[in-house]
Amino acid sequence: MKPATFDYVAPRTVAEAVEALGDPGREAQVLAGGQSLILEMHLQRSRPELVVDINRIPELDRMSVEDGELRVGALIRHAAFEAADAVPGPLGTLLSRAVVNIAHPPIRSRGTMAGSFGWAHPASEWCAVGVALDATVEVTGPEGPRALAARDYFLGPYRTARGPRELITAVRMPLLGEHTGVGFIEHRRTHFCFAQVAVAAALTVHDGVIGDARIGLVNSADRPVRARAAERTLLGAEFGPLPAGRRLPDTHPFARAGRVAAQEDAVPVAEPYADVAYKRQAVAVLVGRTLREAATDLRARLAAPEGDHR
Amino acid sequence: MEQWTRREDERLLSGKGRYVADISVPGCLDAAFVRSPVAHGALRAVDCTAAREVPGVAGAWSAADLPDLPPVPYTLLAGLATEDAVAGREWPALVKDRVRYPGEALAVVLAADRYRAEDGAAEVTATIDPLPAVVTPAAALDDSVRLFDGLSNTVLRGEAGQPIDPSVWRDAAAVVEARYRQQLLLPSPMECRAVLAVPEGDWLTVWSGHQMPHRLRRELAALLGWSTDRIRVVVPDTGGAFGSKSATFPEFVVVAHLAVRLGRPVCWIEDRRESMFVATRGRGQDQSVRLAADAEGRLLAYELTIDADIGGYPHLGVGLPMQTAWMATGAYTTPHVHATVRSVLTNTMVTYPYRGAGRPEAASAIERTMDLLARRLGIDPIELRRRNFIPPAAFPYATPTGRRYDSGNYAAALDLALETLGYEEWRAEQARRRADPDALPLGIGVSCYVERSGGEPGGLHEFGSLEAHEDGTVTARCGTASTGQGHETVFPALVATVLGIPDAQVRLVEGDTDEQPDGLGSFASRSAQVAGAMLQHAATRLIEEARARAADLWGLPVDEIEWADGTVHPAHDGAAATGLGDLVKSTGPLRVEDRYEAGMAFPFGAHAAVTEVDPDLGTVHVLRLVAVDDCGVVLDPAVVHGQAVGSAVQGIGQALYEGMTFGADGVPNLADGFLDYLLPTSTEIPPIVVKETRTPSPGTPLGAKGAGESGCIGTPAALVNAVADALRIADPDLLQMPLTPDRVWRAARAPKHEEGTR
Repeated sequence: MKPATFDYVAPRTVAEAVEALGDPGREAQVLAGGQSLILEMHLQRSRPELVVDINRIPELDRMSVEDGELRVGALIRHAAFEAADAVPGPLGTLLSRAVVNIAHPPIRSRGTMAGSFGWAHPASEWCAVGVALDATVEVTGPEGPRALAARDYFLGPYRTARGPRELITAVRMPLLGEHTGVGFIEHRRTHFCFAQVAVAAALTVHDGVIGDARIGLVNSADRPVRARAAERTLLGAEFGPLPAGRRLPDTHPFARAGRVAAQEDAVPVAEPYADVAYKRQAVAVLVGRTLREAATDLRARLAAPEGDHR
Repeated sequence: MEQWTRREDERLLSGKGRYVADISVPGCLDAAFVRSPVAHGALRAVDCTAAREVPGVAGAWSAADLPDLPPVPYTLLAGLATEDAVAGREWPALVKDRVRYPGEALAVVLAADRYRAEDGAAEVTATIDPLPAVVTPAAALDDSVRLFDGLSNTVLRGEAGQPIDPSVWRDAAAVVEARYRQQLLLPSPMECRAVLAVPEGDWLTVWSGHQMPHRLRRELAALLGWSTDRIRVVVPDTGGAFGSKSATFPEFVVVAHLAVRLGRPVCWIEDRRESMFVATRGRGQDQSVRLAADAEGRLLAYELTIDADIGGYPHLGVGLPMQTAWMATGAYTTPHVHATVRSVLTNTMVTYPYRGAGRPEAASAIERTMDLLARRLGIDPIELRRRNFIPPAAFPYATPTGRRYDSGNYAAALDLALETLGYEEWRAEQARRRADPDALPLGIGVSCYVERSGGEPGGLHEFGSLEAHEDGTVTARCGTASTGQGHETVFPALVATVLGIPDAQVRLVEGDTDEQPDGLGSFASRSAQVAGAMLQHAATRLIEEARARAADLWGLPVDEIEWADGTVHPAHDGAAATGLGDLVKSTGPLRVEDRYEAGMAFPFGAHAAVTEVDPDLGTVHVLRLVAVDDCGVVLDPAVVHGQAVGSAVQGIGQALYEGMTFGADGVPNLADGFLDYLLPTSTEIPPIVVKETRTPSPGTPLGAKGAGESGCIGTPAALVNAVADALRIADPDLLQMPLTPDRVWRAARAPKHEEGTR
C-alpha cells in the first residue's frame, strides 16, 4: 500500500470522532472496515489528510431490535448477517441471501454495512436493500444527530446527503412482518467482481393478494433504485400458484414487473461488457426471478409450523 | 520431504520463499517511474525539479537528464523480430519525444524506499500533447496515424504455405468463413516484475525474477558496454512468468544504468497497477479464416489471415504471429494451407509470448472453424475431425505451413477425451433438452490441438553440468530458470534415476550465471524436453567417465567395468562395488560439462467441454472439462498434472473472462485492476479431468515434449465450440472471446444455424 501521507486518530467515543471530523482545515475520511477506503487510498484516488479510525468506539459495535426495527451499529461487519437467524423473520433471510454476494469471507469479516452506506457504490447490495426497505441512516455531526431516509440519502455514485463532518452511527431497517417472502439474486461475471445487476425483493401477501412489494435494484442506475413502477404493477395482484417450468411466461405478473422495472425504474449506466440494453435485459430477467424466489420463500414460510421464524 | 509434492513446496508454501523484493541490500534505492497518462502523444517537457526536493529522494531523471541512457535492446532471437522491423524504431528506456503506450515511463525517481519514491514521482510534471491513439490493427493498418513519423505502422509481412488457387474454393462442396478476435491478455503472474542491481567495484550483480538469466546478462552487458563476465544474474524464487519475464525491459535498463552511474544498489519492484498497464500482453490478433471441404468432409484448403496488434515498439511481438502461421495446419491432412501475417504497431505496451505464444491463436482458429464446417456439412464435429486427422503412420509429417511434426496419435487422444467425457451420454442429454423448451441449452465442444515445444532452430539446445562429490552426492547445473515449475524436484529425480541413486543425493543449481556460465532459459515449454534431455545425456556421460576412471584405477579394460546403482564394479571378479563418492576421493574431482541439442517437438491433445448457457442472461456454466494431453514421456506426473490444470484455467480465462476495453483516448479501462480485468477464481473453475496419452518424441532419447502450455492452447476453442453448439448460432463472428454475458446474450438472440445457412 502506497497511500499519500495522512494523519491518523482513533477516538474512543462518537463525540471524539465527530470532533476529529469537525476540523475544517483537513479533509477527513472515516475508517471502519476499510473495504473500499484502503483500496482507494492505495491507488491514491482518495488522499485524506486525516483518517478517523472508529474501530475503538464500543457504542458503535452493537446490533439491536427496537420498535420493529433492526438497528445496525456502524461497526457491525457484513459477516454478522451470514446466518439467516442473526436477524429475526424475513429480514434476516433477506440479509443473509444478500450478504454472501459481498466480496469474500475475509472482507466480510472486516467490511461493515454502515460503511457500504457511507461509500454509496452503485453496485452495493446493502444500499439497494436499504432503499427497497425504506431504511434510515443515522448520522451525528457538529450540529448533533439526525436521521436520513434512504430515499433522500443517495445522491449519486459515492455521493450522499451525509455532510463531510458527519459520522454514520447506525443504519435502521424495518423488520419485515409475517406473510412476507424475500429474495435476492445477483448477476456478475465472476464471484470476485461487482454485480452487473442484482435485485432484492420482498413480497407481502394478505388474503391471497399482494399487499406490499418492495424491489431494490443494484447497479441499475448511478445510485440504488427502488423499483416503484414495477412494485405498483404487483399491488393487488392475486398471489397465485407459481409456474411449473423454469422460465416465467411473459404474461406472468412477475415477468411483467421485470419489464417495467427495466424500462421505467432502471436508469442504467453503461459499463465495459454491460451496455444499457444489456443491463435493462438483466434487470428484467432478475426482477422476475427474484420475485419468484420471494414467492417461493413466502410459500415455505406459510407452510412452516407455528413459531418457526426463519 | 514426503509430505510435500515437490521439493520446493516446503519453502514456497510455508512462506520461506525468497523473492527479489525479500532481498535486503544496505543502501539500496527504490525506483518509482512517472508514467504517461496518455496512450499516444508528443512529449514537450518533463520537469523533475520539485521531485528532487522531496525528503528521502536521492534523484529524479527524465530522458533529457540522462543523455547516455541506452535504449531498450531489441532482439532478433528465433527470427521473432527482423532488422527491417526495428530499423528507425528505437524504444527509448525513458520517453524522449513521443509517448507510444499508456504508462510508458517519462521519468524515474530513486529514493530510500518506494513510498518516498512515489511521493517524489507525484511531484514530476510532464507536458504531453495528445495524439490520436491507434488501438486496433484495422486502425493502425491504414497509416493515417503513424507511431513513427515517416514509417509505416506495418512492421512485418509474412506468410507460411503457398497461396491457394481460387478454383479450390470455387469447386469445393462447402466453404466456411469467419472472423475471430484473439483478444489481448495480461499474463498476470502472482509476482510482478522485479529487478535489483548491485554494483560492487567493476562488477554488477543483478537479481531478477526472470526466465532467461543469460540473455539478461548478455543484453545488460551490451547496453553498459561491458564484457559479460563482469555481470552476474541471479534468479531467486520467482512467482510465475508465463512468458512475460524474458526481456530486458525499459525499467531494467534504467535501473542497471543508474546503479552503475551512482555506484549504489537500485531496485524496481513492479506493483500490480504498473503490471496491468505496462507489462507485456499476450495474443492480440484479428483473424479471418476460410476452410473448404468436399461433400464427404475431406478438407481441401484452409486460409488464415492474421493482423496482429503488436504494441508500440517492434520487439518479439513482431514475429510472434508467424508462430500462428506456421502452426495454422493443425492436426489435419489439409493439402493446401496458406497463412499470412501483418504485424502492426498499436498504442499499447508490446505484445509478447504469453503461455501458448502463437499456438493458441492457431489452434483456436482451426478448431472453431472445424465446428463451423461440421455444422455446414451436417456432419458430427467428431466425425469430421476423424476423417481428416494426420494418421499415426504419417509421422514425421511435413505440413503445408512448414512444420515437421515429430510424432502423434491424434485420434487416440480424441477417443480418450470423448470416453472420459461420456460424449454419447451428453449428446443424449442435449437431445433431451432440445425437446424441452423449458430446459437450459447445453452444448458440447471439442478442440484437437497440436502445438510446438522446445523452441525454434538455433534455440533448441541447453547447457549444463553434473558434478560428483566425495560424499557421493551430485550437483546438477543447467541454464534453465524455474519461475515455479518445479525444476528442483524434476531434474534431480531425472539424474538420480539415470545414475541409480536416491533422488535426495542430487541437488539442482540453476538461475545463476556464475554457477552456470551458458544457458538459454525456460520458455516455449522447453525445460523438461531440452534441459531434461541434456541432463539425461550428461548423466550417461558421467557414468562413462566413472567407468573409465575405475578402469584406470583397477587396470582393467573399460568394458569390464559395470555401473549399477551409483557404483562401479569389475564385471567378473566379484570385488565389492565402489561408490561414486569413493571414486571421487581416489581419482579427484569428477565433473562433466554438456551442451545438448534436442529436436522440436509437437505435443498434442484433445480437450472437450460441456457448457450450459442461460440465454436470458448470457451466462455460461461449464459443467465438465476434459483435457487429454500428450507430452510424450512424462517425467513427473504431479508436475505435469499441475501444468495441465493451471494452463486449462488460463484457457478458461481467455474463453470466458479475460479481456479489456479501451477508452476513446486509447487508455485501457483497468483503473480498478482485477475488478476490471477478470481472472477466473476458484469459484469459477469447473470440474477438470486431466488424462494423458503418451507418444514419445523421437527428438531426444528422453522422449519428453513440453507440457506447460497445453490448456491455454486447447481449452479456449473447446469452450467456445460448446457455447456455439448450445446456441446453434449461424454467425460465428458473434461469439468473440471473452464470452461475456452480454455477448452471449446477443448471440443467443441471433438466428440459429438451421435458418442461417447459405
